[in-house]
Amino acid sequence: MSENISLPKPYKITDIIKETEIEYTFRVEADLEVEHGQFFQISLPKVGEAPISISGIGDNWLEFTIRKVGKVTNEVFELEVGENLFMRGPYGSSFPINEYKDKDLVVIAGGTGVSPVRSTLKYFYENSDSIKSLYLIAGFKDEDSILFEEDLEKFKSEFNTIYTLDKEKIDGFEVGFVTDHIAKVPFDSFENYNVIIVGPPVMMDAAAKEVLKNGVVEEKIWVSFERKMSCAIGKCGHCKIDETYVCLEGPVFNYTKAKDLLD
Amino acid sequence: MSYAVSIEKMDKVLKELKKKYRVYAPIRFEKRGRYSDTDLIRYAEIDSVKDVVYNEKSDFSPKEVIHPITQTLFHFTEYEYRESQIDDKEILIFAHPCDINGIKRLDTIFLENGNNEDVYYKRLRDKVKFVLMECQEDWDTCFCISMGSNQTDDYSLAIKFGEDQLSVEVKDNEFEGFFASEEEIDFTYKFVTANQEEVNLPKIDDKEMLKKVYDLKMWEDYNARCKDCGACTSACVTCSCFTTSDVIYSENGRVGERRRVWASCQHEDFTEMAGGHSFRNTPADRMRFRTLHKVYDYKERFGEEHMCVGCGRCTDRCNQLISFSKTINKLTEEVNRLQKEVN
Amino acid sequence: MNHDINIGKLQRNCFRQSKVPGEFMLQMRVPGAVIDAKHLSLVQHVAETWGNGKFHIGTRQTFSLPGIKYENIDAVNEYIKSYIEAIEVELCDVEMDDTDKGYPTIGARNTTACIGNQHCIKGNFDTTSLARKLEKLIFPSNYHIKMSVAGCPNDCSKAHFTDFGIIGIAKMEYDYGRCIGCGKCIDACQGHATRVLSKSQGKIIKDTCCCAGCGECATVCPTGAWTRNATKFYRVIIGGRAGKQYPRMGKMFLNWVTEDVIMGIIGNWQDFSAEILEHKPIYLHGGHLIDRAGYDRFKEMILEGVELNPESEVAERIYWAETEYRANIHVKPVNK
Repeated sequence: MSENISLPKPYKITDIIKETEIEYTFRVEADLEVEHGQFFQISLPKVGEAPISISGIGDNWLEFTIRKVGKVTNEVFELEVGENLFMRGPYGSSFPINEYKDKDLVVIAGGTGVSPVRSTLKYFYENSDSIKSLYLIAGFKDEDSILFEEDLEKFKSEFNTIYTLDKEKIDGFEVGFVTDHIAKVPFDSFENYNVIIVGPPVMMDAAAKEVLKNGVVEEKIWVSFERKMSCAIGKCGHCKIDETYVCLEGPVFNYTKAKDLLD
Repeated sequence: MSYAVSIEKMDKVLKELKKKYRVYAPIRFEKRGRYSDTDLIRYAEIDSVKDVVYNEKSDFSPKEVIHPITQTLFHFTEYEYRESQIDDKEILIFAHPCDINGIKRLDTIFLENGNNEDVYYKRLRDKVKFVLMECQEDWDTCFCISMGSNQTDDYSLAIKFGEDQLSVEVKDNEFEGFFASEEEIDFTYKFVTANQEEVNLPKIDDKEMLKKVYDLKMWEDYNARCKDCGACTSACVTCSCFTTSDVIYSENGRVGERRRVWASCQHEDFTEMAGGHSFRNTPADRMRFRTLHKVYDYKERFGEEHMCVGCGRCTDRCNQLISFSKTINKLTEEVNRLQKEVN
Repeated sequence: MNHDINIGKLQRNCFRQSKVPGEFMLQMRVPGAVIDAKHLSLVQHVAETWGNGKFHIGTRQTFSLPGIKYENIDAVNEYIKSYIEAIEVELCDVEMDDTDKGYPTIGARNTTACIGNQHCIKGNFDTTSLARKLEKLIFPSNYHIKMSVAGCPNDCSKAHFTDFGIIGIAKMEYDYGRCIGCGKCIDACQGHATRVLSKSQGKIIKDTCCCAGCGECATVCPTGAWTRNATKFYRVIIGGRAGKQYPRMGKMFLNWVTEDVIMGIIGNWQDFSAEILEHKPIYLHGGHLIDRAGYDRFKEMILEGVELNPESEVAERIYWAETEYRANIHVKPVNK
């Protein structure tokens, strides 16, 4: 009999970090080959499976930042360090890190969209020599929904950072949407660069339009899609957009492809 | 070889076959139809060939034999997930050519897409052999000819039903022995060669045209007409979508099963993610999605053939009387019009 | 013209007095409200030959032909003999001694019905067939009874406003394996019925207490997980009425009973009426008759010898809610 690739396997939880009231990061012991931007199907006790992007990659660990939304991801919040998280993966496409190297990189992330791009940011934070410059625009709804606060603070030393909250004004944060700050990126001064945009669908659309307006070519833009998935292996049909399966060809797409993925 | 076989004899053969096979055919469930005093015809195991409804189209397709409506994937405790089991019996399915072709489409999704095989589909599919049923008439919603799915050579036996006698073509040697003592006849299965309903397929050449198709006004009609019940996708032999969820046993909340059940792209929660965001939020969007999947993007992805096999069940089962063949034709007209505008 | 007419006798013959002296309106029975359209030509002939050329679709679904002169009544009765025989004797198997003199009684009124499952997507049974079977039990009789047969709990035929209202209900059966948990049945039950369905662990659970038996769940179910039990079940509403003094909506007497039970109780109606009315077939609404007997006695007599199917539910007591067109209408001076 062929291998059952739907079989979830247990991974020991070694740390749980409370990012916000409703977002926890789970670190599990896992020695797997994964790439930045990929995702796992995580078994959520009493619920089922949900696709969760990898938010951190370590030598023998992985991190997943899970949001408590609806009933779907609630039960997982009762797990404790030492218990098992059942999951399978990694699945999907990834950010082409090698292509970003030695060039300028602009990362525009909104809300939970910071999760799928966090491991990429951390990689370039730790290997800052391998990138020419990195501009990070990260936006959140309000103070309570700021994710990865420690990381954001650290990133300031290596990256050009613009952090923003939709309406609130607090120390270290601008006011407005991420799109309001895109014009501050000196695209004209870049020779060769890439732009990563991750966030809610409306934000990604708006941000893509904005960067295109700033003269960025489609080939330089990378986005990550979030879709409902039951299987993550091209069977269940939930994530299909026309002939594209987000679980197989995505979640990371170059904008030349993504612009045609209409819903 | 072909044989003339009496119903009595065929039932004896069936009794023998049932030792090795589960034998499925469309059978009648009296007064179990959608409306009072109407019947439901769907696939179930048979005890006699007399049970086989061969001269009416079944409400549901044979896909539910291989892709069960509800299927347990794993049994789990807090420590392990154990794959569900099935028995050793082989499977024999009575089916018309369109349905056998439809199951080929399911094979593509479950056994090829993503370059991986779905264990649960495969373990049932590997057991299946088909008994081809002759289409004695062309039902008024069939359009298999237009979809090129009126023929197949994937069958072990081919049967033409008569009042008290069957004509049986034995194609698979495994079954030759059962009929050796029967009268040999000159019978070859006849595929239908014409449908009352003809469908013209849209020619969508590029993404520019696709975008225009997205914006067609024709979809908006369905906002008022379609009640997004999902009867079309349930009846469709090629619709393969499902949703996975866990069920917890009430006596022990840490033990349960992971199962999948059919899902429908026509239901408003089909794309709904944790947190509530969803895509394709109107019946029009969802109708467009289903239509294009069946007659455009499946072929875009896999190349050879369209997903739709023209069985017409989606039309038959729509309680709002939306005809899928008419929808396709309308789309094609619109695409032709758009094409003219470009040229 | 003749000014000496026994209007009571003519009423019993189904000719109703007109405001024009000497003119009458014939009410031709159509039990269950469906017959072959070919009979319309007879109706047309009577209306144009002896009536005023018009016909009224009677409020009890009769063909009502006004403007028939007293002196033509015999001719009319002779002419409608074929209709009475076709409908009453042939279709309804009614035993009639004499069909020459028109309708022998008006006591049991025409049984009304919606179209039922002969046509309607909501209908749970063939209302006309049942009405025809009931006709055999109630006609001809001088004891008054009004019945209405409704194909589903929508009650388009107003079974709630008649002596005996019979409503077709379906015992819904649920196939757990076929259910995809889409919740369309929940929405339908919420929108059209009694909100007895809800979702649990991806499947449907039902509060069986209050299922109205409408079958909406089956109508919307995409996979055929909900189906009707092939046995036909009925709800019986009693004591509904209109009227100037204290109209009221009927109340549920029986629920989930089979056709045998319906035949049994309606078969007992004449004996019950005779007993309560001391064998004088006077005109009294069924609701008043039940009031006169008292619900307990009614229940006992009407269920006499009737074998209730195991699914049956019977009202323990009934609390009527009347619309009183003057306050305390039932409170009357002792001396009158």
